[in-house]
Amino acid sequence: MKLIRRTYRLSLLWLLPVLLLGSIFVFFMINYVVYEETDEFLIYEMNRLVSFHREYNDLPDFHMVSDILEDVDYPEPVFKDTLLLESGDNEMVPYRELYFTIDHRGKKVTLVLRHLLVGEDDILRGTLLIVAGLALLVAITFLLMIKQVSGKIWKPFYQTLKTIRGFKINEPVPALPVTGIDEFNTLNTTVEGFLKKISTDYKRTKEFNENASHELQTHLAVIRANAEFLLNEPEAEKPDEKHLQAIYNATVKLSQTQKSLLLLSKIGNQEFNNPVALDLGEVLKQSLQLFRDAAELRDISVRQDIGKCTLQMDPGLADVMVNNLVKNSVKHNVKGGYISILLESSSLTIENSGHSHEGEPETLLERFKTGTKGNLGIGLAIVKQICDLYKFDILYRIEKENVHFIKVSFPKA
Amino acid sequence: MKILVIEDNRELLDLIAETLRKEKYVCELADRFSLAEEKVHLYSYDILVVDINLPDGSGLDIIRAIKKINPHAGVIVISARDSLDNKIEGLELGADDYITKPFDMAELVVRVKSLLRRRYYSGSDIITQGDITLNTSTREVKVGATLVELTRSEYDILLFFFSNPGRVISKESLAEHIWGDHMDLADSFDFIYSHIKNLRKKFTVAGASDPIKAVYGMGYKLEIN
Repeated sequence: MKLIRRTYRLSLLWLLPVLLLGSIFVFFMINYVVYEETDEFLIYEMNRLVSFHREYNDLPDFHMVSDILEDVDYPEPVFKDTLLLESGDNEMVPYRELYFTIDHRGKKVTLVLRHLLVGEDDILRGTLLIVAGLALLVAITFLLMIKQVSGKIWKPFYQTLKTIRGFKINEPVPALPVTGIDEFNTLNTTVEGFLKKISTDYKRTKEFNENASHELQTHLAVIRANAEFLLNEPEAEKPDEKHLQAIYNATVKLSQTQKSLLLLSKIGNQEFNNPVALDLGEVLKQSLQLFRDAAELRDISVRQDIGKCTLQMDPGLADVMVNNLVKNSVKHNVKGGYISILLESSSLTIENSGHSHEGEPETLLERFKTGTKGNLGIGLAIVKQICDLYKFDILYRIEKENVHFIKVSFPKA
Repeated sequence: MKILVIEDNRELLDLIAETLRKEKYVCELADRFSLAEEKVHLYSYDILVVDINLPDGSGLDIIRAIKKINPHAGVIVISARDSLDNKIEGLELGADDYITKPFDMAELVVRVKSLLRRRYYSGSDIITQGDITLNTSTREVKVGATLVELTRSEYDILLFFFSNPGRVISKESLAEHIWGDHMDLADSFDFIYSHIKNLRKKFTVAGASDPIKAVYGMGYKLEIN
């Protein structure tokens, strides 16, 4: 959920108890005011009657006395609430009564003044109307306010977010702005620190990769060329062939391993970020071309069903991935075996006959895991690394003892 | 044919020079950028073998320079950097070929010869060894007048031998030549051995004498009697 919507929702939630309490308050306030006013009016009328009576010993022509009770004595005026039947619409209606006693020709006479009250249901209805109107007003103000205020306050945050999202590892670290808000300044300096660290780590790894590759490969080249040179010496001057051959072989193996490890490291370091839309089918066809002779030599039949599959991928890595998969299926096959390749828009499946393998087939995707026969080495680890980089799903399964099954699924674009 | 080799590692530089001189090429050497730049401006070369990583500059700048001075010169880049990224840059600048360290001298010789053929020997792209004739433009191989059908790998192997007559060529070197970075394919099965066996069989059927000799424990060698 978006920050602003979450803020709206929580703020409006806070309005609910306020509205509830507010309604109760308004209800009682109106009630109080109604009583207050009615009582004030009744007392005023009482005083008028009392003073008129004192002067003329009679009641004025126009008065509000509703009842005259003889021989009833209230030493003090008393207010009472009562309900009376309204004959018009046959309903009980609340009245306020004021009982007070006057001395009329030596007799105590109690006069009753009565005034209509506003019904509680009417007050409730009024209360709700007021509160509803007010709530609407407050809610609208709130929303506008939050929109305005959040927009202003969170602006640096969104800016930071945008900068981080647009950050590319091989580009210089972008400067995050200094804002007027301490928390965001802390966030920005922290994020900047992280980015700088990531950037230097990336550069350092890249440099290490380059140095390792340059320095080591050059010296390996010297060893290899010298060994090759000695192998070509005339018989009489040739040194111990067995040892020479061992040196040469080890150099070749070492340089291969070195290249593979560097490739793994570079993929892991995300140094390949040149994605283009490419047709994996074309890559696959080229790869099959490369290994066709090798497959024919072992009488391996190749079944292929290459559909259309366009991916956003670094072309070099696509080559490496497909070549390693195809090579793997040729290399670990058996004489007279088969390879079955299916490329669909969402997945690449390679099934091949091979040797049985004890243990979890998925471990074959790990570095330097070797099968029982032959050296599985690092090729599949590289494929795995590329799959991880592009969030492809890779599955390795062995069915019926010796049918190897690798499926790479591509996420929907 | 005059070749300038630019490589900062002295030992490797000397070995490359020795190998190329054995092939009867005139070879000049530069072990640093400044020297290479000077030579490129002073003399003219048919082929440059350039290492990209030099202590005092980038080999890519030398490629830029030579392409201005003498656009016809062939350029082979040797680099220890990964083949995936620098390759493209080098080739875009006009390099003709790319080879990554470490490489076999036999491989370098093949590349140099192939480049020379493409650049300077147009029309004479036929190599004959003994009674076998190889045409590099049509990729046809004949014994006398008989055409011998070869697979792509077999042809590549044969050309490799033809470019390095008399030199001992290891199985690893052949595997790398055919499959490049995927030479480890040869690990679990003797693909090279099978290819060579098939080649020999085809020549024998066509009536040629078998030119490929096994060198015990090490590899093979093209020997023409």
